[in-house]
Amino acid sequence: MLKRLRENKSSQGTLLITPTLVFMVGLLIIPLFLTLIISFGKRSADGNVIYTFGLHNYARIVGISTDCAGGQSICFDPLYAQILWRSLTLAFNSTVLVILLAYPLAYFIARSHPKRRNTFLFMVLVPLWTNFVIRVYAWMMLLRTQGVINSVVGWLAGLVGIQFVPFEMLYTPGAVLVGMVYEFLPFMILPIFTSLEKIENSLFEAAADLGANPIRTFLRVTLPLSMPGVVAGTILVFIPVMGTFIVSDLLGGKQVILVGNLIQRQFLDARDPTFGSAASLILMAMTLVVTFFYTRKFGFGEEIVTA
Amino acid sequence: MNPYKRSPFIKVATVLVYFFLYAPIIGLIVFAFNSSRTNVFFGGFITQWGPLQMEGSTVVQSPCGPFHWFCDLTQNRDVMSATKNTLTIALISTITSTVIGTMAALALQRYNFRLKSFSQLSLYIPIVIPEIVMGIGILVLFSQVFSFLNSSFGLVGDGRLTMGMPTVVVSHIAFSIPFVTLVVQARLQGFDKSFEEAAMDLGANELVTFWRVTFPMILPGVLSGALLAFTLSLDDFVITFFTTGPGSTTLPIYVYGLLRRIITPQVNALSTIWVLVVVTIVFLLQRFQSQET
Amino acid sequence: MKHNFWKLLAVFVLASMLLAACGGGAAGGDGDEKVTASGFVCPEPETQIEVTSKELNLFVWTEYIPTEWKECYELIYGIQINHDEYSSNEEMYAKLSAGGSTYDLVQPTDYIIGLMIRQGILQELDQTKLPMASYDPNYLNLSFDPGNVYTVPYMAGNDGIIYNADAVPNPPASFADLWNPEYAGRLVLLDDSRVIIGMTLLTLGYDVNTTDPAELEEAKNKLAGLVPGVKLFDSDSPKTALIAGDVDLGVTWTGEAFTAQQENPAFTYVYPTEGAFLWQDNWAMPVGAPHSDAAYAWINYTSQGNLFWLMLRDFPYVVPNKAALDYAQANETELYDAYMNSPITNVPQEAIDAGHAIEDVGDATPLYDQIWTEIKGGE
Repeated sequence: MLKRLRENKSSQGTLLITPTLVFMVGLLIIPLFLTLIISFGKRSADGNVIYTFGLHNYARIVGISTDCAGGQSICFDPLYAQILWRSLTLAFNSTVLVILLAYPLAYFIARSHPKRRNTFLFMVLVPLWTNFVIRVYAWMMLLRTQGVINSVVGWLAGLVGIQFVPFEMLYTPGAVLVGMVYEFLPFMILPIFTSLEKIENSLFEAAADLGANPIRTFLRVTLPLSMPGVVAGTILVFIPVMGTFIVSDLLGGKQVILVGNLIQRQFLDARDPTFGSAASLILMAMTLVVTFFYTRKFGFGEEIVTA
Repeated sequence: MNPYKRSPFIKVATVLVYFFLYAPIIGLIVFAFNSSRTNVFFGGFITQWGPLQMEGSTVVQSPCGPFHWFCDLTQNRDVMSATKNTLTIALISTITSTVIGTMAALALQRYNFRLKSFSQLSLYIPIVIPEIVMGIGILVLFSQVFSFLNSSFGLVGDGRLTMGMPTVVVSHIAFSIPFVTLVVQARLQGFDKSFEEAAMDLGANELVTFWRVTFPMILPGVLSGALLAFTLSLDDFVITFFTTGPGSTTLPIYVYGLLRRIITPQVNALSTIWVLVVVTIVFLLQRFQSQET
Repeated sequence: MKHNFWKLLAVFVLASMLLAACGGGAAGGDGDEKVTASGFVCPEPETQIEVTSKELNLFVWTEYIPTEWKECYELIYGIQINHDEYSSNEEMYAKLSAGGSTYDLVQPTDYIIGLMIRQGILQELDQTKLPMASYDPNYLNLSFDPGNVYTVPYMAGNDGIIYNADAVPNPPASFADLWNPEYAGRLVLLDDSRVIIGMTLLTLGYDVNTTDPAELEEAKNKLAGLVPGVKLFDSDSPKTALIAGDVDLGVTWTGEAFTAQQENPAFTYVYPTEGAFLWQDNWAMPVGAPHSDAAYAWINYTSQGNLFWLMLRDFPYVVPNKAALDYAQANETELYDAYMNSPITNVPQEAIDAGHAIEDVGDATPLYDQIWTEIKGGE
């Protein structure tokens, strides 16, 4: 049998992929399937699932409502659509900001001396290895009305003699944005760095020889070659932002409701697993659609080597 | 031309971004020495050494001086056991998922087999699925399976199958595999097969070729995958919450629960130690790397 | 390159072994007396209970058990305690109802107990094995568990209004007062749909457990007028925002108010005229608890006056345990006086009479959540 294994390439491949398949099917596909079934069900009085088939949960999310104020049979209730849209825009804004902040840093590290490169890289990793929740809490300390930032600015203003009214930064949507950017910044730095690092110096020299100024070089050589890294980083940032609930809970004072918060609440406080399941699947579908179109346009970022 | 030249704009931007990355961490570390127990404002450092004395909620004197909260932490058995659990889970799941993920990457990049597209697609699920869905889904699955097995085999009391460390480890492996596979796959894509062919021509069989030619060349990718898996496992909260059982609390769960109730500087002390450990490991890695080159 | 890998591995393994070794020291016992690491002398158990189990699985609220209890219990009975925590009843319920867990004791709050009983999650308690005489009868035989078939009291409290007397010259006396425009931008409210929608219902003269959609719709519209002025919702640690000065007043529960007061005596807690929300946390035993004998021993031991009094020291709530109060009155007079003198821990009878208890509303739960989402999620 071993001999057959050696010769038949196809069965070698199957053997190698089997453990993965076991995990993926067992721990992901089957639970997902269960989620799908539950999403069609109805909620019992105590929050259990009554297994039936109905699209009421999906209709509710999309906004089709049957009890209307004006007496029509069907009207539009934008509540959940608003939440979805808010999550999309936050994810989009966060990703753009993250790219703007990550790129210069990644460029700096990629073009630094090989001896120091790893140090700079690991300096990026250290915050990532501190606990996620603790980092959010650290921002609360900084952004409070009498927190670190306001205290420092206030002290400076006092030196110059300006009357200072503290900024109200915490518990606002802006704080949530800052929190999201902070939490996921390293996930963009690493892929961009990797793709930039692979660009050989000779390419830059060649561009310079041909008379291109730095900006032209960047736009026509660097940027296109680093796109795979940007794409990979976008996927690593956009998707978690859509689903996180901790950042919006802590930094937004529980007033910024995103899809992640909605889903979490359905399973816990509202005890409506049917609606929560439907919302989760819609979230997954949205994420897949966005990812699909994005990678169609920009390629798949296949070369996301991170070492 | 100096290949390491970067424009001033880049340099300034870099400093600012690093500052942005570290400002909260520095704040955290400073507050680990806070004399105020409620930890809302910074009450100054604890300057007196001696038996514990408090004024309201400010620590005026402590046997460990300014390091009061660090000493406090060592008394905290829950933190110690949570840390041990977290590291154990992270280590086991990282090693397992790296091995399985590397195998999968090799399979997907180099072989053709019947379930290939299905496998590739299924690997994207853990990346797009909301954690709470995965967590609850796995919990429901395990509890159904366990209750079935328990009743079929008549297991009772402490002999029953229940949620605990094994279930957490298994879930961590599940969400780590795709990330490892993705990273190693990427490394395999630009792979130059000529080295392997040369080795085979020289008479090495497939296993030897793999171990001595292929594996070292993809090792950077494998290590990055392992690093990613380790990071993901270390920090995971939602999935772990739903898959733990008695005695297998991890650090993120413990910290999250603590942060939501009592925010003493003990948490800051914990973070400081954590950062120190990470920096030390990184420093040691640096030394090894420079010794190699 | 290969070197690196093994060295990395070695470092990780070393680090984890190091941390595992720092497992924290246990306490010693010299002869008959058992003493904890902090020097607390462990009292002897008053009731002898046969215990054969070697472990006890607790699933409790974060930071709600004095460490001395755990240490003494382990010293006296030689049983290892596995201590898991949760920060909301809903989290606890989600884990228990999904099945597969093997906890011996949980601490549900009153409103969720009815649901847990209906779902068959809790098992009936054997009252002959419990110290029923230690408990204050006012906290027994309540509507959520008549006859205490499934639960015994742990701690109680209520949700009311708190304000910073220094920053709020015109303080509120009722829930309705919170709608005063001069408070806008300075309010913190509990992130609890039942409590906040409930308080709105009270201001309209309705019952807090109503399921009437028309009444709820009215409450929703009224509440929508308040929410823009709310700075944050917080059911975890509202005292932080209050102490930090981010907000000056709002709705919190007694424990938070007490701690805020300790930090800044200007914080004042009031029982609103419409009546506060009363709650009670209880011990309950899930079905399938593997170490029920250890659980009974635990409840008996920790309910003793000479142990339960530690709750007065650590957690500023209402103590339904008579034995503990008697012990404190005799032996810890300072603590006892502080407890009796504060209207927060020693709730005035009028406040209890005027208070409301939240009950599970069954089918209407998603309706309350829908209203909550609309109010918070709307632009």
